[in-house]
Amino acid sequence: MNSNKMVVSKVLVLDGAGLPPDSLKAFCEECGLVAIKPQQGDADSVMTILKSNVDLGGILLHENYGGKTGQGLELARAIHASRPELPLFLRRDAVSSVAGLAEQDAAMFRCAYTLADLQLLKATLEASIFSRVYPNDLVRGITEITRGALQPLFRECDIDVETPYLVKDRIIYGEVFTMMAIDSHWCRGYMMLQAAEEAMMALISREAGIDEGETMTFRELNNVLGEATNLAWGAFKSRYVSQDVNRCQCQTQVPIIINHQRRYISFGSEDPQLCIKYTLRERNRPDVAPVPLFQRFVFNLNWSPDEFRENPTVESLVESGELELF
Amino acid sequence: MAQVLVVDDSSTVRNEVCDFLKANGLTVVPAVDGKDGLDKLKANSSIKLVVSDVNMPNMDGLTMAEKIRGELKNSSVNIIMLTTENSPAMKERGKAAGIKGWIVKPFNGAAVIGSLKKLIA
Repeated sequence: MNSNKMVVSKVLVLDGAGLPPDSLKAFCEECGLVAIKPQQGDADSVMTILKSNVDLGGILLHENYGGKTGQGLELARAIHASRPELPLFLRRDAVSSVAGLAEQDAAMFRCAYTLADLQLLKATLEASIFSRVYPNDLVRGITEITRGALQPLFRECDIDVETPYLVKDRIIYGEVFTMMAIDSHWCRGYMMLQAAEEAMMALISREAGIDEGETMTFRELNNVLGEATNLAWGAFKSRYVSQDVNRCQCQTQVPIIINHQRRYISFGSEDPQLCIKYTLRERNRPDVAPVPLFQRFVFNLNWSPDEFRENPTVESLVESGELELF
Repeated sequence: MAQVLVVDDSSTVRNEVCDFLKANGLTVVPAVDGKDGLDKLKANSSIKLVVSDVNMPNMDGLTMAEKIRGELKNSSVNIIMLTTENSPAMKERGKAAGIKGWIVKPFNGAAVIGSLKKLIA
């Protein structure tokens, strides 16, 4: 992966109040983004734009967009419900933070900024507009199949997906992580799941109905995370890895370097990794802290997004979990 | 009494499938990979059905199926694959090895128990 494999990304600008004409457009150009503005700014028109522009990279939204206080937030809720994978950036008039917003509203935004601190926005945009590197359809598909993989293993949980983002650091989250190779004609690298051992073990114990005081070993945690990885990997392979392409068997490899003390893993590449955070919330235990699970993709051995294709859906009368008799 | 061999390297899946089959009155023999599964099948003529994962260490499920047909020519055991794999090429390879059916994970016991019981009847 390198700069010539970066995709030009469009951002929707829902702003205007108190701005010099085209100032955000110029800012976006400086960031390598194409700014588009709706011809009509009402909520219905914006939602229509979202439906017809599936390749949008993100949205810059003013908190009072539409003219009334709080109207921008109302629109943000509708956007987030319709396109939860799209990063939202909130321009505020007074403070460069989500202070004062309800927790659920604050969680919709990658950051809040004011016109006085556009450099902060620039840094966040760089990390958040994943569609510059990873196709939107791919990221949306990954979140769908991963939720589908996690749900049967965490039946008592609601699984939320936060807006995906890009990371360049190599720090491992938590103590446990799984890694599985992904190998196709358009991408080669790894998928990882990372979790904190204690919180995840406690959650798995409760899912399994193990009483407090009974012991559960870390190996059981390994098994569940391993199976989650396997299910997500299998679904990824079915959906995105072409079956009929003959690839050279003598493929390249590079060393992967792990430093346990520093919780560090290097794949020998500086390329941004796709990071998706899933939050597991126990439906019947609202008092228990939700457990985060991080999924990362690094395609360090081959990245050719222009060749990315979703496999044609094979019409089948057999659902997952059912028996297809030959 | 007819027995079911459950082959999966994931103890989460192996236990889930074994527990479900036992709760439905079947006798199960667990195995941790294709090699273990093949050894247990060779040693136990009561096994009439194999439910096996595909991707496993040491020996994968399809290789195990091919070896069952190759090395145990008189075996009437039915083989079902339970796997995340869903590619036509894999299924074709399975059919060529004489497997009887394919289940894409996650396992939905209630949906398949009737068919599994027929296969060991």
